[in-house]
Amino acid sequence: MTSTYDRMMAVYQGRDGEGVVFQPRIKHWFEVNSATGTLPERYQGMYLDEIYRDLDVTPREVWVPGVRGSAGYLALRIVEGDDVEVWVRQYRGSSSEGEPQDYIVTEYRTPKGTIGQLERLTEHGVSVYNVEYFLKDLKDIEVYKYILQERTYQWDQRRYEWGKERYGDTVPLRVNLQRSPLMWLFVGMMGFQRTVTMLWRHPKEMEELLMLHENEFYKMLDVCRGKPIVELHFGDNMHQDMCSPPFFKKYMIPFYKRVIPKVHEMGMYATAHWDGFVKQLLPLVKETGLDGLECVTPLPQGDVTLEEMKEGMKGMLLRDGIPAVMMCPWTNLKNLEDHVRKLLKMFYPRLILGISDLTPANADIERIKFVNGIVEEFNESL
Amino acid sequence: MGKNEEAFEEIRNSIVNFDVETLKKAILDAVQSGVASQEIINVMAEGMNIVGKKFEAAEYFVPELIMAGETMKEGIEVLRPYMSGETGGELGTAVIATVAGDIHDIGKNIFVTLMTTAGFKVIDLGVDVSAEKIVKAVKENHAQILGLSALLTTNLEQFPTIVNLLKKEGMRDKIKVVVGGATVTEEFAKETGVDGYAKTALAGVEICKGWAKGR
Repeated sequence: MTSTYDRMMAVYQGRDGEGVVFQPRIKHWFEVNSATGTLPERYQGMYLDEIYRDLDVTPREVWVPGVRGSAGYLALRIVEGDDVEVWVRQYRGSSSEGEPQDYIVTEYRTPKGTIGQLERLTEHGVSVYNVEYFLKDLKDIEVYKYILQERTYQWDQRRYEWGKERYGDTVPLRVNLQRSPLMWLFVGMMGFQRTVTMLWRHPKEMEELLMLHENEFYKMLDVCRGKPIVELHFGDNMHQDMCSPPFFKKYMIPFYKRVIPKVHEMGMYATAHWDGFVKQLLPLVKETGLDGLECVTPLPQGDVTLEEMKEGMKGMLLRDGIPAVMMCPWTNLKNLEDHVRKLLKMFYPRLILGISDLTPANADIERIKFVNGIVEEFNESL
Repeated sequence: MGKNEEAFEEIRNSIVNFDVETLKKAILDAVQSGVASQEIINVMAEGMNIVGKKFEAAEYFVPELIMAGETMKEGIEVLRPYMSGETGGELGTAVIATVAGDIHDIGKNIFVTLMTTAGFKVIDLGVDVSAEKIVKAVKENHAQILGLSALLTTNLEQFPTIVNLLKKEGMRDKIKVVVGGATVTEEFAKETGVDGYAKTALAGVEICKGWAKGR
């Protein structure tokens, strides 16, 4: 029997007959249930890695900062300029109603001025979302330009060695890059509505900013060159209601077309995280040069059928494919079984099976075992 | 085409083409010609309707809805000194919110824009809104429609909680509840006791228009 590593490499390389790997994301489920004391009795006191082993599925969250039992495999590190001070403070404050909430203030203090964001921790403190974004006007953009000009990236050899020792024989190394420039603004720096109105009212300044963001990718790629990386991943959180087809054509495709050939020149594969509604974007994805997509979410949670995914992706690799809601106990188990069987039949051998987008906190974890049983049966039939 | 009709055409086109400066000028011209502010708002709403139809036909997308909405807002600001009393809401009043524990608002915001365009008076409560605050807003605004959005599976339980609170307050038979959000399925929506489920914002508006006509 081939190893998990070889099976995954076969998916990247488009080879046949190595078997399907099931690699669900369970970190969010684990963290929320750890925080609330609702982990099933069997898993109490276990690390995330041990739960993966118990479920007999391939670990997934190995490229993220190590939180609560996840080792982390994050090999790229941001280094800010000498005169850029990053100031972070967490506090508990009152909201307009109800219980006080936990907030994180982050400020970048530079000779050109200061920009700041306000994030709120989610209910169980396992994630954050933006209440205020860094970039609110043209003045902030000038400060941010300075930050980017001074920013460099480093390969974190120590972190890499740690991850390699722990996971290197199991899963090929993947490095997460930033979101593509437009999605970086939408989701991370400026917020969706402000980005849209700024692009509309200040196109010249915004396009300069997008190009500066793009330059960050060239810096990151330079650091990745020559390293044992198999997959470079754009964490785009693509969603057509944010990045509409005209935006995709105007900003995303040209960006991907400039950057992805450089990824391929280094002998690496390029993938992106598409976890929203993508029906109108899938017909355009082949123009990007991406080798694969992660988290594409079919109906009933997303807006595409498996047939539409197959048609749009035309031979690209798919990671995931099971709508997260199907892991919840109130959804029909037979529907889950039928969906998984169809997915395997349609996408193998270009498939790394997983949950799109991740296993919900209130999922029935036994369904992971249920799906794994179907996968094992499928692999035995090959 | 009469002088007013020419100005109206310019107002409609300015909304459709997101041309703020032309819109402002056309509004002031219309006001100076003696056109009532409510009539100008109706013409702007016609422009938004065209935008909505283009959205429906996948000719326009959410960014275009935002730009058209921003353009209309600027038009309203120019008109504000000439407005008297409250305007809009001929199809009734809708309270719309993303439920407690959930901060996703793109779908909710599209729904708000489309409902406003369709002719509803919309009370947008924002995101992460408690059941108590939602029911209070329904009561205070005498709303006929409640639109609820949730993306996270962990927050779907808010739907039955809100429905039960409406029952407890004796308001359930006075209001229609429609729900949406990526993880909401028709199967789940039925079990929660709401009146309607919409896969998209546009489908939600059609459901609400149907209810308004049936009243």
